[in-house]
Amino acid sequence: MRQRNSLTTVLAATLIATALCLGATASGAATTKAKPLRGVFKLTAGECSAGTASGTYFRMISPNGTLVKGPFFDNPDSLCTDKSYTLASPGTQGGLITGKYQPNPTPAFSAQGGALASDIVQPQAFTAINFSISTNKTDPQTQNSVPAPSISDRGGKLTGQIEAWSASWNKLSFNQGSPKPGGGHPGITEPLSGTYSASTHAFTITWASQVVGGPFNGFTGYWHLTGTFVPAK
Amino acid sequence: MLTTLNGPTRQSGSGPARWLLVVVAVVGFALIAMPLVFNMFNKTPKGAVMIAQFKPFMTTARLDGFQTDLKEINAGVRQTDTSVATYLTAHSNQRTTLETTFPSFVTFDKEWPGIDSKMTGLMDQVQANQGNYRAVAALPSFRLFPWFFVTPGVPILAFALASIFRPNWKRKGPVVLVIFGVGLITAPVAFQMFQRAPSGGQMMSAFKNLETTANVEQIQGFFGEMAEGQGIIRIQIVPTLEQDGLTPNQVAAKFPNVTTLDARWVHILNDMTPMIGVMSDNVANYQAIASLPPFPLFPWFFVLPGLIVIGLALAARPGERVGNNAPSKVQSVSVPHYQGVS
Repeated sequence: MRQRNSLTTVLAATLIATALCLGATASGAATTKAKPLRGVFKLTAGECSAGTASGTYFRMISPNGTLVKGPFFDNPDSLCTDKSYTLASPGTQGGLITGKYQPNPTPAFSAQGGALASDIVQPQAFTAINFSISTNKTDPQTQNSVPAPSISDRGGKLTGQIEAWSASWNKLSFNQGSPKPGGGHPGITEPLSGTYSASTHAFTITWASQVVGGPFNGFTGYWHLTGTFVPAK
Repeated sequence: MLTTLNGPTRQSGSGPARWLLVVVAVVGFALIAMPLVFNMFNKTPKGAVMIAQFKPFMTTARLDGFQTDLKEINAGVRQTDTSVATYLTAHSNQRTTLETTFPSFVTFDKEWPGIDSKMTGLMDQVQANQGNYRAVAALPSFRLFPWFFVTPGVPILAFALASIFRPNWKRKGPVVLVIFGVGLITAPVAFQMFQRAPSGGQMMSAFKNLETTANVEQIQGFFGEMAEGQGIIRIQIVPTLEQDGLTPNQVAAKFPNVTTLDARWVHILNDMTPMIGVMSDNVANYQAIASLPPFPLFPWFFVLPGLIVIGLALAARPGERVGNNAPSKVQSVSVPHYQGVS
């Protein structure tokens, strides 16, 4: 009889504890609901030291390569020892703005084919010709309508879409978004992910996007953005 | 049995005549079905895209330009690994050599002959097919190809059926069919298909090794290597020459091919990159067209049905004699009887 009472007590305690845990989890989930970050993701300029890069940079992986091992396309104009890193510095608007487009200027290219967009990043030499970034309502390469970039924070983890991210170079445009226009993730295209500190607003964002079509068809761009988020007023 | 004053005539409304018209109807149906069987409605527009996208590059000026680009790269690389290398070694007391100071260039330099040979070979191949490309481009748009079969096929089928089943079409139906048959025969002649289609076939054969994913990826790789090699010359080797005391003018005077390569590099990129893009974008389009029957057969796809239609339609005309020479009045005599048979 005493044993039965003890068993009942243990079972009741277990049930109560489980209920409390579930309640706490639900409460926690409520507090980590995805929060859209609307504003400027101000970029920190890329830097190289000891053969590796930090800050904002991009690498291009050859067809059939991997994000980690490459093989990578070397940019002779890179300021790094490892020429596979192409560093970027913030543009006139400081970086990436979510919730709106930062389109190509008109014209988008110089007579020599250098990209002129400078809102997000400053044009950067890539094999002697400047490349740059823009986000456009109509993707210049695919001519598809694409949404403005959106990024959300869920407990310090960033997710979102950057479908409109477009690289321009040599009078050509390459969609470098993720997902790709239309929603696909071809090849080793990876969704946008990253980290965010609500206290310091420091962020790191990465994604990968396979080039579909054109002279770099099958190559994949790996994008690494760091900096400080400034919420829109 | 149809009889006339002068002997037997063809039984146009039944037996052999009807059978002949059935065959004509089958030919008409085959012309309609051919584009569907060969998936032409899906494939030929891809051919039209390929022809259109290659158009800006298939001019003598552009093709000569690509050859010049390759020659300029070759001259710049050759001068770097000879005169520049000698100069650097001599003026640095052996401290600066290509091997020790610019090992990435040396790697590229070893690869370059293979790259140059392959790229020049490809350009030769493309250039040799410029005339063939023009011949194909001068044909009516590939998008229209399926309709070239369907358009005559539908009336041939319709008139053949009418000639079989509608008594009042028994006489004029075959005549109309003969006209369509003549049209089928003359169309390839009018479009000079007998000259142009074999040219298209030669172009497709020449592009067979060109328009493959593996080849395009190899060229993409070459492009990366060339960009890296030129970058080392532009960003590292020439500045080293200048650090050794040469002014830019002296560099240009001593090493004109290197200077030309540097000066022309952006133009070379402007030139070559879109071409690689078009090659890459058209691999699937080429494969679609290559899976169609061989180009040289295309004129015969019109001529043979045309001949068949003409022959059978003539043979199926009512009242024509099969055997001995018959007076023309035989026709008028035989018609009432023939109608009665059908």
